[in-house]
Amino acid sequence: MNTHKKLSRRSFLKWTGITTALMVIESPLRNFDVAYAFGEHPQEKPRYLAKKKVPQVCARACECDCHYDVIVGVDQVTGLERALTLEGRPDDPVSRGKFCIKALGFVDGMYNPDRLLVTLKRTNPKRGEGEDPGWVTVKSEDAVNEIIEKMKTYKREEILFASPGDPYSNRLCRSLGVTRSDQRTECFGTHYYLNSLMITNPPNKYYSSTYTVTHSLWGYDYSQTKYMVWFGFDSFSKTAKAGILNHIVEGKRNGTKIIFFNPVKTPLADGMADEYYAIKPGTDLAVALAMAKVIIDNKLYQADFLKDYSDAGVLIDLETKKRLTDAQGTWLAWSQADGKPAPVNNCNNMAFDGGPFSFDYNGKQVTAKPVLQLLQENLKDCTPDWAAQISEVPAADIDRIAREFAQAAPTVCIPNLKRDAAGPNYSNSWRLMQTINILHMLTGSLDHDGAVLFLSGVKIPWLEDVDPLVKPYPQQPASPADYRNQFPVTDNIYKNRDFSAPGHYGMVGHGLYHGSTTKMVFFKGPHRGLFALIQPQMTEAALEKMDLVVDWNLYPDDNAYWCDYVLPAPHQYEESKLDIRQYYPKWPCLVGGDAVQKPPGDVIGWGKVANMIGMALAPEYWTTDGSSDPAKLIKGNMKDPALQAVGAAEDGTDFMQNKNGFWIDKKPYENYKTIREIGYGRPDGRVKMYVDEFAEVGFDGLPTFQPRWTSSEGEYQFSLLITRAGWHMHADPNFIDNPVINMLSAKNNIDAVWISPAAGQKLNLQNGDEVILETNPKHMPELPRPVKSKVFMSSRITRDDCVMLFHGIGHRSKWLKHGVWGYRDGDLIPQKDPNICKQHDPTGMGWVEDVYVRIKKA
Amino acid sequence: MKQYAILLDSRFCTGCNTCFYKCVQENRLHDVAANGNTRTLVKINDEGMYHHRCMHCIEPTCVANCPKKALTKTDYGPVLWDTNVCIRCGTCVQKCPFHVPMLDQPNNQIVKCSMCAHRNLGQDENAIPACVTVCPTGALEFGERGAMVAKAKQMAKDGGLNLYGLEENGGTNMLILTKADPTAVGYPAVQKSSAGMSPVAIGGTAVGVAAIAAAAYAGLKKYSTRRNEIAKED
Repeated sequence: MNTHKKLSRRSFLKWTGITTALMVIESPLRNFDVAYAFGEHPQEKPRYLAKKKVPQVCARACECDCHYDVIVGVDQVTGLERALTLEGRPDDPVSRGKFCIKALGFVDGMYNPDRLLVTLKRTNPKRGEGEDPGWVTVKSEDAVNEIIEKMKTYKREEILFASPGDPYSNRLCRSLGVTRSDQRTECFGTHYYLNSLMITNPPNKYYSSTYTVTHSLWGYDYSQTKYMVWFGFDSFSKTAKAGILNHIVEGKRNGTKIIFFNPVKTPLADGMADEYYAIKPGTDLAVALAMAKVIIDNKLYQADFLKDYSDAGVLIDLETKKRLTDAQGTWLAWSQADGKPAPVNNCNNMAFDGGPFSFDYNGKQVTAKPVLQLLQENLKDCTPDWAAQISEVPAADIDRIAREFAQAAPTVCIPNLKRDAAGPNYSNSWRLMQTINILHMLTGSLDHDGAVLFLSGVKIPWLEDVDPLVKPYPQQPASPADYRNQFPVTDNIYKNRDFSAPGHYGMVGHGLYHGSTTKMVFFKGPHRGLFALIQPQMTEAALEKMDLVVDWNLYPDDNAYWCDYVLPAPHQYEESKLDIRQYYPKWPCLVGGDAVQKPPGDVIGWGKVANMIGMALAPEYWTTDGSSDPAKLIKGNMKDPALQAVGAAEDGTDFMQNKNGFWIDKKPYENYKTIREIGYGRPDGRVKMYVDEFAEVGFDGLPTFQPRWTSSEGEYQFSLLITRAGWHMHADPNFIDNPVINMLSAKNNIDAVWISPAAGQKLNLQNGDEVILETNPKHMPELPRPVKSKVFMSSRITRDDCVMLFHGIGHRSKWLKHGVWGYRDGDLIPQKDPNICKQHDPTGMGWVEDVYVRIKKA
Repeated sequence: MKQYAILLDSRFCTGCNTCFYKCVQENRLHDVAANGNTRTLVKINDEGMYHHRCMHCIEPTCVANCPKKALTKTDYGPVLWDTNVCIRCGTCVQKCPFHVPMLDQPNNQIVKCSMCAHRNLGQDENAIPACVTVCPTGALEFGERGAMVAKAKQMAKDGGLNLYGLEENGGTNMLILTKADPTAVGYPAVQKSSAGMSPVAIGGTAVGVAAIAAAAYAGLKKYSTRRNEIAKED
């Protein structure tokens, strides 16, 4: 019998069809096929092997100063041991285990092949963008010695340091008697000065002596507050501030109500705005004043706070505009019970309103009114209807928001830090900052749990505290390059109260360009160079005529085109640190950071540079006994006393090795305690609504409305809005020269200027079209430099009269391989003429966004 | 084994892209990312934050269509890509309904999220993908899929939010809550059922066998037809 079964064509087709159908339908397990044993798949293998964690503090990416660990390990791709990434530290009250993209960028910045590791010295005397400086390399110490020899030939008024106010820069500039001006003025100068004049009263126990870079009141209890009003607080840059975002979101999840006033609808507004208003740029002051009026007129304020902790009842002499004091200097208020003035701390039934009160004062008849009465009179016309006409925010909403804000008091706040509307953006920003502080006073929300938190219980001493001076510092130059002497309100703070104050960088380019005194400029970077400036073209032109220009920087950035020497600076992770938690100071806390690696190459630290220059040119301030003996060099140990004072550790080594760089005292927050300790009239300290210093220079001591410096004219109708991507900071090459970050920017149109779709259509523009932006020449008569960029139309720009630019792009340095990229926002912002500036603003800021531009198709 | 999922509450995503850079460092993808090829990236769009990242479908179209079985679906959630098996044909790039996998030619690799499987996701109950650990606002959450689905549904109901990824392409291990319509935010409109296998792939496994069977059928049919033609000619 033939057992071989023949497969007919029909059968073959039938079985093939069934098989195919089954294959198509497939087994329900088809996707669970495992090619490897569990954990053996190539993507289940780690790409690096972590070997150690190094605690660090993020002191340069933003204000938050997050505490985290740098992970050092072996990169499986390259086989090299290096810092690879970060891990959060959940104990840190600021970051609570988080950090942002910028901090991650720092890790890779350490190994950027464009990083400067040797000192560069110019051989070609011709300076300027694109010119080849003819670099030669020199030993860093030799370069500093050469610089010192040149400095010996200059008078002190011929030297300018462009530097932040860190302890060593302060001592160096003060000991040499030279001017120090700080770029960060244009980030937070207004906040700093107004807070100093109204609240922190420098020098004080905490804020003027801290190791943080800003000295501003930037602690907000976002997670506990019930109601917040944001005047442009949610700039794009805030989208990556991990140290505050984690608190804000917790608050939002807990039901915090947040009101957004901003001509840009940012990603924060998408999810967190209970109400969003597309306010007209530079008119936030009108809304704030109207809010204050509603609260005062309806007596919705916290009367006890005003009585006990503010100057609301303090009498102002109507003739002299000065506050009245008793023989001991204590402010006087009007006692309604006694019908006469009495010391404010001992005043029976204090009058907040009424008057004028006339009485004998030191043998002379005076007429006076309480501060709150004067404020009410100032605000007489500032109704919500009035504010609505100016700001284009509905009057009924302003009225309601003011009432809701007052009803939620004292757990409310109006956060402000860096470039929000109360920053140095407009010529009226200083008045907005004053009004915000007053709104905080009316609601008793300063130095209060769930509101504005103040530092207490920790202090990192100044260099002068640990290495006291043997003799007083010399006088500062009479006519500094940044014109600070023409602004007595802030100059007094510099000279007499806090030399770490930020300065007047918004005018330093004007001063260098128009002045003839300065011969040497020393930029202390990293990343504090030209891009951080407003109108860098004026500074560039000025630097061409300088005798000596030096930069201490992490990278040879744009500054290098004008520099005679570029000294290599350490990366921030190559330095040890000790930091307080200024940005969430609910509890006394200290955190520390260790160096991840020894600085490579011929990198030279700032302490060493300062020591060398100081010992060579002013040794009496750099030795412990005022001699010039190098063996007596000051130690500069500010960490040990700070740690020992609170019992955190025996010294810095003990803190890092045995305490893991962390100490906290989680005691309950004591409301209004710090006001008493640091305020005016301490130890019974109070905060001030009335700023006597403004009255002394011809401005009202209380806020009034003032419009912007410039207005829309003809084609110059686009109000300039400046922000920055969450992953950039200034012009820091840590990010700009990072190809990964640049790709991210390109994908998100950060390399374009943004306008509303309606504005784009009106100009007949398409996305990606090249446009030219030009500042109104009336306000930028010298060295204009129009900006060329592609345009991006976004409905996030909610007004048709605005254009938004991103700060921190636009490198020109040919030594940064990835950095030749984009436009510069600063090119459009005029340097401030001091004669114009002082007419509008006694603090002398740079009004970075008080500009109207024209947009034309290129 | 538990199956995991990532839940994104877009209301609290600020577009900071810390997740993006952490992913680059975690997986050492600097060169690839510089070319524009990323495992996860947040695009700040007008209507919200669009996360371009693998959805880790329950029935992945990329897996079904991969001719070399270089893509596999794990039983704990992630879809993984095997560099040793992949022939870089780009089928997954073409077939993914979410337009996610990228072929980075200079570095010769497919770029697609692994849900950080290397962090022992299937074994260690405390393991969390790198992007989730760093999200400054906690907008990203990670957990057992059933729990994440229940939470997402409740949040969608309470907040009037859209839930993307629950049903798209038959369901995914990436669940996204949005205020605006997800397609307005930037997410692709994807059919609710899995696109499953597409007949274009040729080669190994089930798809390959089917293709061979089809080819054999076509060949035999042609042979049979020719024989008939010859017989008629005879």
